Amino acid sequence: MAKKTYDLLFKLLLIGDSGVGKTCILFRFSDDAFTTTFISTIGIDFKIKTVELQGKKIKLQIWDTAGQERFHTITTSYYRGAMGIMLVYDITNEKSFENIVKWLRNINEHANEDVEKMILGNKCDMEDKRVVVKGRGEGIAREHGISFLETSAKANINIEKAFTELTLSILNKTPGREPTDVPEKINIDRKSDRLSNRCC
Amino acid sequence: MNEEKIDNCKNNIYDHLIAEEKNKHSVYCTKCPSKILPSTLGKHMNIEFNLPHMSQKKNCESIECELLSDYWMVPDMYMFDNIGFSKPIESGLKYLICADCEIGPIGWYDDKTKQSYVALSRVKHAEDS
Repeated sequence: MAKKTYDLLFKLLLIGDSGVGKTCILFRFSDDAFTTTFISTIGIDFKIKTVELQGKKIKLQIWDTAGQERFHTITTSYYRGAMGIMLVYDITNEKSFENIVKWLRNINEHANEDVEKMILGNKCDMEDKRVVVKGRGEGIAREHGISFLETSAKANINIEKAFTELTLSILNKTPGREPTDVPEKINIDRKSDRLSNRCC
Repeated sequence: MNEEKIDNCKNNIYDHLIAEEKNKHSVYCTKCPSKILPSTLGKHMNIEFNLPHMSQKKNCESIECELLSDYWMVPDMYMFDNIGFSKPIESGLKYLICADCEIGPIGWYDDKTKQSYVALSRVKHAEDS
């Protein structure tokens, strides 16, 4: 029916304690407090954003967990289909950093095991209020083999970069990178199976 | 005859934006540079829908709406370049907002039909940059 206007579609989630600025990471201009009031009373479900990477037009469907930050409320149904997760803490809030480990456990329990993760230390513009040094963020990321960035939604530091890096890491492990490549791959595998049978 | 005339008058102000029932130009946010919909992906539709004003008076409990009748119907949400969806309001409807600055509603989305409707008067139309 309608022509397809993109090459790939990735579902991304923003996860972390409440107040760490997850919602702010999703938008660039937040100065108009008057007009945001109406929508903020209803809340935002998700957003669709389009990016172009490696010549591919990629649609990102980004979900924010605002209002459901308690671990027990985020379960399998929420993670279903998620290909990337931004795990966010606030560098001025020790507890939000400590909870990263709990969030990681929650992700391991409920999300697809090959989901791409990224840890973000947000509010890095508030240096005077910092309680979590950068090294601790880097450390926990290294420990879990996840990439890490310090961001500021307010000062627009590393936000674009975070989305690009997460999208790229999903893109790089997308099998065949194009849906049309998949059947070919299966064919090749079958052939090699037959060959190995003959050998035996 | 008379009815036709009225219809023509009503559409006049948007005629220059429509080509073969589709949006001739790309659709942008009125407040920020965010591109919402590429050209030709929305179908012009005359539907009356009461859309809440983008700015509501503070400390006012009732929601003020505006009856709008010119919309771009988008059959698949992934046709949008950038768009935001509010949480469901009633009977599976969600408001559409700018994905970047979050002003809105600029239209609504019907979860039953999966169709989105963008109000022509709530967006900017411009040639691709």
